[in-house]
Amino acid sequence: MAEPPVAAAGGDGEEMPGEDGYGGPEGNEESRRNIRHQYRELITSVQQNREDMLSSRSNRLTEVLEEANKLFGGVSRAREAALDAQFLVLASNLGKEKANQLHSDMIVFDPTAFAEDLLTFMGLNRLEGVESDGEEDGMANGFLPPDAWQRVGTEAEKYFKRAPTFHFMLGSFKTDPPVPKQRLERQKEKPKMEERRAMPAQLKKMEESHQEATEKEVERILGLLQIYFKDEPETPISFFDFVIDPTSFARTVENIFHVSFIIRDGFARIKLDQDRLPVIEPVVNEEGQEIEQEKQSRCQSVISLSLQDWKEIVETFEITEPMIPPVSASE
Amino acid sequence: MSQRKRGRGGPGLKHAASQVEEVEESSFTQTQTPSQVQRNLEKRSPGQVDQKVGEVLQYLLVKDQKKLPIKRADIMKNVVKEYKDIYPEIMNRTGKKLQHVYGLQLEEIDTKNHIYILVNRLQRVEGDNMRVDDNTGKLGLLTVILSLIFMKGNVTKESVIWETLRRLRLDLGEKNSEFGDLKKLVTEEFVRQKYLEYTRIPHTEPVEYEFRWGPRAFKETSKINILKFVSKIQNKAPESWVTHYKEAMAESAATAANP
Repeated sequence: MAEPPVAAAGGDGEEMPGEDGYGGPEGNEESRRNIRHQYRELITSVQQNREDMLSSRSNRLTEVLEEANKLFGGVSRAREAALDAQFLVLASNLGKEKANQLHSDMIVFDPTAFAEDLLTFMGLNRLEGVESDGEEDGMANGFLPPDAWQRVGTEAEKYFKRAPTFHFMLGSFKTDPPVPKQRLERQKEKPKMEERRAMPAQLKKMEESHQEATEKEVERILGLLQIYFKDEPETPISFFDFVIDPTSFARTVENIFHVSFIIRDGFARIKLDQDRLPVIEPVVNEEGQEIEQEKQSRCQSVISLSLQDWKEIVETFEITEPMIPPVSASE
Repeated sequence: MSQRKRGRGGPGLKHAASQVEEVEESSFTQTQTPSQVQRNLEKRSPGQVDQKVGEVLQYLLVKDQKKLPIKRADIMKNVVKEYKDIYPEIMNRTGKKLQHVYGLQLEEIDTKNHIYILVNRLQRVEGDNMRVDDNTGKLGLLTVILSLIFMKGNVTKESVIWETLRRLRLDLGEKNSEFGDLKKLVTEEFVRQKYLEYTRIPHTEPVEYEFRWGPRAFKETSKINILKFVSKIQNKAPESWVTHYKEAMAESAATAANP
C-alpha cells in the first residue's frame, strides 16, 4: 500500500547530499517536524501493539498502513521518507508473520515449525547460551539434554510395531564377524607363538650362564685379591680402593656384590684400620678352613652406596684406575 | 513338473553348482502342492520336524537383532537344508510359534525375492519398562524422517531432511556421539533395514537424492500412526491436517481389508 510512494521517496533521497536540508525551499520546518513526530508515534504504537496487530480478527495493520499513506502525502524530504521506509519495514515484517499464521491456521506442514516443536519436546533448554549469536536463519538457541533423542524414541515406539529383539545377557559372538580382521589377528599371533616356544630354551641358557658367570667372577676377584695381598702383604688393601671402579658405578656395585660372596664364604674378611676405614684381606688359613668357617659367627652388614656416594669416594680416595679390571679387559 | 521331480530325486542335481540348486529348489517349493508337502512330511519323525522348526525360529530371532531383512534363500541355505521339501510346512509352523509364543508376526516384505521381517503383534503399552538403548534414539531419528517424508507428500528431497536435522542439532559433517556417522546411518543402515528408500532423482546436476518410506516402515508403522506422532509433537489434532488425514485413513482401511 505504501510502497509506490516509498519507492519515489527513495529516488528523492538519493539526489542530494544535503538532504537534511534545514530551511530548504519547499515545506517549512514546522510542518516537517510535525510529520516526523507523527511517524515516530505511529512506529511506537505499532511496536507496542504487536500482538493486537497480529491477531487475525484485527484490522489494525491495514489501518496504520492507511494512516502512514496519508502522512506520506506531506513528505517532501528524504529525512521524512526514511522514517516512512522504517515504518514500512516494520509493517512488512508484521505482514509476513500474519501470513505465516494464516498458513498454520489452514494446517500446512512446515518442517521448521515441526523441528521447533520437536526441540521443545526433547526438552531444549532455551535459557542457556542465549547470548551466542545463533539467531541466524531462525535457529533456536539453547542446548539439548543428552537424552533428547531417547525421549523422541520412547515416544516413537508407541507408534511402531517393532519386534523387540532379544540379547544374550553375557553378550554373544557377532552374527557375522568381520573376516579380514580375523585374518590379521592370526597373522599377528603366529610369530608370537613361535617366540613363546623359543623363549624357555633361551631363558634356561641365560640363567645357567648367569650363574656360571657369577661363580667365575667371584673366583676371579678372589684371585686378584690374593695376588694383590701377596705382592704387598704389609699394606692392607682399602676396601674402597679394591671395589670401586672409577669409570663405572654399575661395575662398582657388581664388584661389591661379588666380594660379598667371598666374605660370606670366609675367603676374606673386612675390618677397620686405625682411621676407621674398611680394609679387606684374604684369610690365609690353609688347614682346617672349613671347620673355622663353621665356628665363625655369622655377621651381616648392609652397605648402601648411592651414585653420589660413589662420586665422592672416587674423589676423596683419588681412585683413578679400577683394581678389578672389567672381564673383557682382563681376558 | 515331472522333470523337477526327477531332478529332486536324482543324483544329478546334487552335483550342480549350489547357486543353481538354490534357484531350482526355491522355484520348486513355490509350486509344491500341499499334498506333496504332506507326503514328504510323513517321511520325517515329528521330533525331527520340531527340531527344524526350532532352528528356523532361532535363526529368525537372531537375524532380527540387527533389523536386517531375512531372505528366504538364506533360511534355506543356512537352516532348512535337506528339509527343503517340507519348507512350506516348516515356515507355517514357525509362523504359528512366533505368533503364539513370541507375539511376533512374520511378514513378507518382498514377494518377488521372498524377503521377510518380524513385526510385533502386540501394541506397546506405556510404562512397559522395555529397555532403552541406542536403538531407541535411532528410532526417534527414524520417526522424525518418516514424518517429514509423509507430511511432505510421501517423497522428500534429501535437502529437506538434512536441513530439518540440522535444526535438531544434527549436522551431516559432524560425528555425532549418539548416531556416529549420521549420513551413513540414514542412507545406509536405515535403507538396508528397509525403513527408507534412498534414490537418485534422475537428470539432476549436481546429483540429488530423495527419500521414500521403505517396506519395513509400512509394516511396522502406518501413515495414521506417523500422523498421530506429528500431531502429538505439534500439539494438534490429526484431523486438522485434512488431506494427510484422508490419505492415512484410506491406507489403514486398505490394510484392514487386505492384511
